[in-house]
Amino acid sequence: MIYQQLINGLMLGASYALVAIGYTLIFGVLNLLYFAHGEIFMVGAFVGLFLVVYAGANIYGALAGAMVACAIIGVLSVFVAIRPVPKDRPLAPLISTIGLTIVLQNLAVYFIGGQQLAFPETIKQTLYHVGPVTVSSTQIFILGVAIGLMILLWLFIERTKMGRGIRAVAENHETAALLGVDVNRIILVTFIIGSGIAGIAGVLDGLKNSSISPFMGLSAAVKGLIVMLLGGLGNVPGAMVAGLMLGMIEILSAAYIGTTERDLFSFLILILILLFRPTGLFGTRTAEQR
Amino acid sequence: MFDGLIDGYTQSILIFTGISVIAAYSFFAPFKTGQVSLGQAGFMAVGGYASAVLTQKFGLPFAAALPVAGLIAGVVGVVVGFPALRIKGIYLLLLTLGFGEIISVIALSWDYVGGAQGYRNIPFNPRTLDYVIGIVIVLVIFFGRLERSSLGRAMDSIHQDETAAEVMGIDVVRIKLLAFGLGAMIAGIAGALYAHQATYVDSTTFNIMLAVEILTFVVVGGGSTFWGPLVGAAVLSYLPEFLRALREWLELLPVAMTNFFPANRVYDFLHGFLDFENAKRLIVYGIILILMMIVRPDGLLTRDTIPRLPFRRWKARHA
Repeated sequence: MIYQQLINGLMLGASYALVAIGYTLIFGVLNLLYFAHGEIFMVGAFVGLFLVVYAGANIYGALAGAMVACAIIGVLSVFVAIRPVPKDRPLAPLISTIGLTIVLQNLAVYFIGGQQLAFPETIKQTLYHVGPVTVSSTQIFILGVAIGLMILLWLFIERTKMGRGIRAVAENHETAALLGVDVNRIILVTFIIGSGIAGIAGVLDGLKNSSISPFMGLSAAVKGLIVMLLGGLGNVPGAMVAGLMLGMIEILSAAYIGTTERDLFSFLILILILLFRPTGLFGTRTAEQR
Repeated sequence: MFDGLIDGYTQSILIFTGISVIAAYSFFAPFKTGQVSLGQAGFMAVGGYASAVLTQKFGLPFAAALPVAGLIAGVVGVVVGFPALRIKGIYLLLLTLGFGEIISVIALSWDYVGGAQGYRNIPFNPRTLDYVIGIVIVLVIFFGRLERSSLGRAMDSIHQDETAAEVMGIDVVRIKLLAFGLGAMIAGIAGALYAHQATYVDSTTFNIMLAVEILTFVVVGGGSTFWGPLVGAAVLSYLPEFLRALREWLELLPVAMTNFFPANRVYDFLHGFLDFENAKRLIVYGIILILMMIVRPDGLLTRDTIPRLPFRRWKARHA
């Protein structure tokens, strides 16, 4: 029983972690709470669904399509709601991304309707019994993709020149620019990566819950925020670990305490972290400036 | 007071616009000291539920329950505001967001206040409009006086630079706590007014999107002057109605003016665009928020613009 719950927690946590990675990357380079990230996750899920249903794509096609579509929306959002807004007012970019959130969510409602849509089953279901645990092929696929993505991203950030650029911009815009890093390009790359990952997370979430709705973005956004904070603002590996942790905590508290208390626990964790360890469990580089 | 003068539909629009204005001032009070709260919807929930319990379960009249509900929300505000003193910026935003969510989980799981069913049959208050107008007037006068008082100036200085304010001898802790508690109290009153107008509240009534909306009221209106929350909340709450009126005016155009190319295409486009359909209307709302932040990131009104408004110039010339 407990092993089964841990597997479920891992599944939930993986999707939290993927959303939070985008948040924390964007927060790192722009120092901005990018409110529309949850909606990008929602758009990804719908792009995946339409590719499977109307274009007959397989799951890999759906993942790739969602990733590309979300990356494009991410780039557009930079040009529409971030670059034209003055940076010296702390609340202005927050409000403009809130505006973007409202636009994206209601575009989805307008074109698709407010109801839930069933996500097609694209992976042949087989159940594997490993000792006391039963795992389905869908679950293995989701976990595999999520963990593979996280490893790739970690390698990208730590081992490539572009990744070093992202880390430099996250530390300090001016210094990075003086050292020859093209800050605007790095910001775009960050949005491409963060939004692409959110798109994949959306498709995986559709696979896991077998239904999606235009309103799925908000709760993903809020959980992503908690995870970002838990891992330390701007700390990518922290967000990965914290996402898995929050997923486990939620599933275990739902299983052994009660389903309504599940959200209570995640928000209590949020508040305790804020009060006693605002740099997150794993610390951030530039916490004192915020 | 206005029973014979306006129809029920207009009356309900005025009431909800007024409640938005009150909620906007509840955000404005802590914001004056630089505290950005996404918890105002949570305080509205505290006030709304408190007043519902007081009137329905303890038989208090609304006029007595309203201030008590405000006080309860204010006390909760001080309790939340105390730990919130240690943190600022994005951390405070997240803390207050977490507070709002915890309140809604409590409302969902506490059966005494209806639990998942929601709180039903809250006594309807037929005089909400009178209360709303009265409270809005009091708030405008209060914040107008505050802006020119020493307390208001102390709040502004905390907003600009907390350390400098502290060095100047301002009791930063006390004033920030006072502002946060005051904001929570005003939010509680707004929530109580809402609950007795809608007669039904549940755990999703006062949600994050409401808290976000309250924040946009103040930022769009202008957070540096006491006119900002009034203008922002009134403009943004009335905007959907305005779009609708625009569509009706469009329909008044004579057919001869619009039945040839390209005017017919423009007409069809605008007519479809202003359709009073929720999703489309909200898309326009979102676009306006983005454009606002590009064109006027400090909000519609700032302290610099007010002396330059046309009627002010007129007044100065004729004084």
